[in-house]
Parts: sequence; C-alpha cells; structure tokens
Amino acid sequence: MSFSALNLSDLNLLVEDTWVLPALLLILFPLFNNGVSSSVYPSTLLLPPDPLSSFLGACLKASAMIAITTLVLGLAGLYRTEQSIERIGHGAHIVVLLDRSKSMDYTYAGKAPDGSDESKSSAAKRILTAFIKQRKNDRIGVAGYSTSPLFFMPLTENKQAVLAAISATDLPALAYTNISKGLAMGLSYFQQQDSQTGSRIILLVSDGAAVIDPESEKKIRLWAKQQNIRLYWIFMRSQNDPGLYEKPENPRDDNAQSMPERYLHLFFSSLNIPYKAYQAENPKAVQEAIDDINQLENMPLHYIEEIPKQDLTGVCYGLAGFFISLLLAVKLYEAKA
Amino acid sequence: MTRMIKNLKDYRFYCLVFALLAMLVIYVKPQTIKPQAVYNFTFIIDITRSMNARDYQHKNEAISRLQFIKLTLRELILKLPCQSKVGLGIFTERKSTLLFQPIEVCSSYTEINSVIEAIDWRMAWAADSRIAKGISSSINQLKDGGSHVIFMTDGQEAPPINPRYKEDFSELKGDLKGMLVGVGGLNNIQIPKYNNKGKQDGFYLEDDVPHRSTFGMAPTSSVPIGQFNARNAPFGGSKVVGDQHLTRLYEPYLQDLSKDVEWLYHRLETSERFNLVLQTPHFAEQKKLLVDSRKYPAMLALLLLSLVYFPKYRYK
Repeated sequence: MSFSALNLSDLNLLVEDTWVLPALLLILFPLFNNGVSSSVYPSTLLLPPDPLSSFLGACLKASAMIAITTLVLGLAGLYRTEQSIERIGHGAHIVVLLDRSKSMDYTYAGKAPDGSDESKSSAAKRILTAFIKQRKNDRIGVAGYSTSPLFFMPLTENKQAVLAAISATDLPALAYTNISKGLAMGLSYFQQQDSQTGSRIILLVSDGAAVIDPESEKKIRLWAKQQNIRLYWIFMRSQNDPGLYEKPENPRDDNAQSMPERYLHLFFSSLNIPYKAYQAENPKAVQEAIDDINQLENMPLHYIEEIPKQDLTGVCYGLAGFFISLLLAVKLYEAKA
Repeated sequence: MTRMIKNLKDYRFYCLVFALLAMLVIYVKPQTIKPQAVYNFTFIIDITRSMNARDYQHKNEAISRLQFIKLTLRELILKLPCQSKVGLGIFTERKSTLLFQPIEVCSSYTEINSVIEAIDWRMAWAADSRIAKGISSSINQLKDGGSHVIFMTDGQEAPPINPRYKEDFSELKGDLKGMLVGVGGLNNIQIPKYNNKGKQDGFYLEDDVPHRSTFGMAPTSSVPIGQFNARNAPFGGSKVVGDQHLTRLYEPYLQDLSKDVEWLYHRLETSERFNLVLQTPHFAEQKKLLVDSRKYPAMLALLLLSLVYFPKYRYK
C-alpha cells in the first residue's frame, strides 16, 4: 500500500507513487522544441506574422504536453479516492449484538450438540450470515458480550470483514451473561457518528437475560433515546426457560432476579424507542424473525453510498494514446522544407 | 510521396510511430505472473492484568505491554503484502476467543485497525491467566483454519501453577505452526490496579495475590514445611512471600512452552524486528499474482515522446 501527497482537492485525485511525479518536468520540453525538423532559412524576420499557424503550432505543443502529462500520471498510478454520495435507497446501520455466554453452545433442548441438533450459537451464525449477505447497502457492526463486552467489528460496509467476525462467534463460548455491558457496547458504536444518515438498529441475539443494575439502566435509557435507536431482540428460548410474556404463578417470583427475561422485555418496552421482540424456540423461528426484520428495515431512507477507490490509469493511457496518434497524424502532413 | 520520404528520414517520425505502437500494447492490458509470498496470521493477545504493566517506551513515555502490542500490530499490518490475511483474538482465563477470522489485510485495513484499537484489558471475561491452557485452547480452535498462531504474552501464569499439573502438549504439537511472542521487560515492575470506573488506583501489593499454587495434591515427598497439617494446610501453613504481585517477562518459561508445542519464540522489542521474524519462508505461502505491467510500454512511449521534443541547442 502506498499513500501520497498530491491531492487535487476537489477531484480527490491521488497517485500511488509520488516519486514518479518529477518526470512531469518533461512537459517543459515541447516549449523549447516544436518537434518539427528545422530547415535552414536565410531569415524569418521578413515572414509576415501568421496567427493561424501560430495557433496550430500552439495546439501541437499543447497536445504533446498533454500526452506527456497523461503518460506520467498513468505511470504514477492516478486514482480517485473513495467517494461518498448520498442516495435514497434501502439501508441501515445495524449493530449485531451477540450473546457469547456458555449456554449459547447448547442446543434448544439445553444439551451439548450431538450432531442431530445444532447449537444455538451455530444456528445464529448460519442465519445471521445469510441475513448479512442480503443487506447490500447496510453498514454492519458486530459486538458481543459475556461477562464483559467484546468489540468484534466496527460499523462497516466491508461485508467480508463482518462475515469474518460473525463466523468467529461459534467457537467455544465464554462465561456469563452481562447484558447491560453488552448493550452499552452496542450503543457506543453509534456514539462516534455525529450525523444520522440511516436508521440505527441494534439486533440483539441472546438466549437469556440478566438483571440490569440501576446505574446502567439510567445510561442505557439516555443513550437509546439520544441516538434514536431501533431495537430488535431475538430471544432464543430454550425448553423450560421462562418466556418473555409469562407471568409467574407465584407473585413472589415476579421479580427481575427470577424472571430476568420478562423484566428485560419490560425494560426494553419502557425505553420509548421502536422495539420488537421475537421469541424464537427453534432455528426456523429465528429465520422467520430475521426475515421479518429484513422486511421491516427495507423502507427507503437516505444513505451514503461509498464508491471505492477508482483506478484512473486506463483513462490516462487512453488520453495519451489519443494525443500521440494526433501528433503522428499531423507529422504525416508536415510540409516539406 | 516526397512528404513520406522526408518523414522516413526524420527520427521523430519513427519515435511517434513506436510510441503509438507502445500505446496499442497497453490496450491489451499486459500482465506478468509474479510469485509473491503471502502470510496468514492469527494474533492472540494476552489481555490479563499483568499486560497493563508499563515497561515499554514510546516517544519518551512509558506505555503498557498491551499498548505496545497494539502499536506493533498496527505497523505490522501495513507492512504485510496484499493478499495476506490477519485474524485477531484475545486470551484471558483459560482460553482464547477469536474476534474475527483472518481477513485480507489491504482491503480491510481500516477495520482491522479499529479492532486492534478497541482491544482492552476490560474485555477479559474472567481474571485468571492460564497461559499454557490458553495456548492449547488456541491450537484446538484454530488447527483446521490454515492460519498461523502468533500468541503474544508475558508468560506470567496467575495464580502460579502447580508443577505437578503441567499442560500436556504431546497430542497437539506439530498440529499448527506458530510463534510465542514474549512481551515485557526482564526486570520485575509493578502492575497497575484499576477500580471499577477504569481509573488507576495504585498498584497490586504483595497481599493482593497468591504467590504459590495450592491447587491439587501437595508435594508429599518433601519434608513438611512451616505449620504443615495434612488436612488443613497441606502446602504448609506459614505465610508465603513472593514476587507474584510484580511482573516481568517469564522468558525461560515461554521458551520451554514453545519447545513443547514446537513453535518459534521471539521477544518483542521493536516492530521492525517483529516484522522480520514473521515475514520468513517458515510462515510464507507462495502465491502467483498477476501483476499489471502496462508501465513498461508506457515508459517506452514517454521516452520516445521526450526524444521527439528533446530541446536542441539553437544557432542564432
């Protein structure tokens, strides 16, 4: 990789190899030599001035200079830097927030995967991979949490990088479920963005919840509101786990410690942000939830399309070829002495 | 006709003809095949507390081992040839976890860079530092991936290990090429202690950490030391003093470990030297890359064009 200094600011043009640029001095040559064979003349002083031929002469010199310039720029590797154009289309900023706690390594039946059933984490990986491949115009980031938050991949258009982060997530899981730190990590992805250009989505994929301490609760409430977040929670519910909507038979059990999932759902619903929960009891339900989100988040919106770096050497060589053939054509018509 | 004859006498005519021919060659987009060594590394970074010890210097400022690793890796990914792949993982407790699978360095430079930047000791999901176990967990996770593991640590096992229970690598050795990178200085220094707000709150003191292993079976053959009691104090009852609250690079230990898994060992000093030991044939994979060679005809055309317009000395 190489970077360089020449920046024709508005066009965002740069060259790969700056050291070639001094060769641009060659464009001075045609100023001293018109490239026409000279013949001995007694005196040119008596010739009347001929504006047309001076003009044509200047054009020829200019052509030669352009040919030399474009050749040098082609050799130096001219390119246009990445550009961003605002467009209207389908796109969003999505942070995939993955639960990396130990239970994700088990199947929906709460067992270690034995070949017939896949673990929750590999089901999540498979379905998310397909989802990401469909979302062409999104910027996607990946974060995770267990006992502590993990930063996997920043928000980026680079789908290869996002998939590389997602595919690392079914390797052995870590420890406990500290949801509040995970949420804070997910929200922090949007804090670096100063302007909002698309909808901001947190897609939480987890198989359980935990109690959120009051201090974190206050922060999450504030950030979620400030940053205009839309929250989707895919709750991969295992057999015999309490669901999001169940009320315990014994009112004494109706507290965050014994029913963390229900309380987390209540907390999310109270955030005053667009929120939707999916209780997915098998991989198929996860797939349905993802399809639903895919539909919901296909509303047109403003987004910034990034146009990658464009190689302009072909254009340079094309121009050079054109002007060289022009010079040669003129050469063929050169008046004899 | 005379015009033609005159042109045939003019070297400039030939120059222009050949320049145009050279330009025609460019439209064919000539490419040459060039062998290029490319690499595939997965860096596993120790993020346990001792990695916060500041025994590296950068711009006349003491920086922590972790910060130095981050600086080094950021410089390194710039130096790796395109088509090389880099993955990143962290180690704490007894295992390592991957942050992302190896991806191509040139097209994903910004992404790799931001993940390196984001690595933090607070990502640790538990507090032990079982390096030998971490290495075997890395090998188990990555042995089918085709990436070479570069495990970066200071070698301080915490709490200290019981020499009775050494990790057995006999099944794993040779499964995966890799390198153990020793990070830190050889002299003991203090480990900063942070409170739950992330602010430094002094250093670890002698009483904060265990200085010897009390795990598993106690040595039975030795003469009981101190207030030995077979049930209540099998390792001896007297207070143990040690230097486990301080940290240094445990180089001999890491060298032994690297022999056990048949890996290379390197002490991290500068990013230049690190780059040199990584970009070696040992880790290289030869790839045939198609290289754009339009520059040769373009250079020829430029040379010919300059000849046409080469300033001549004029007689007055």
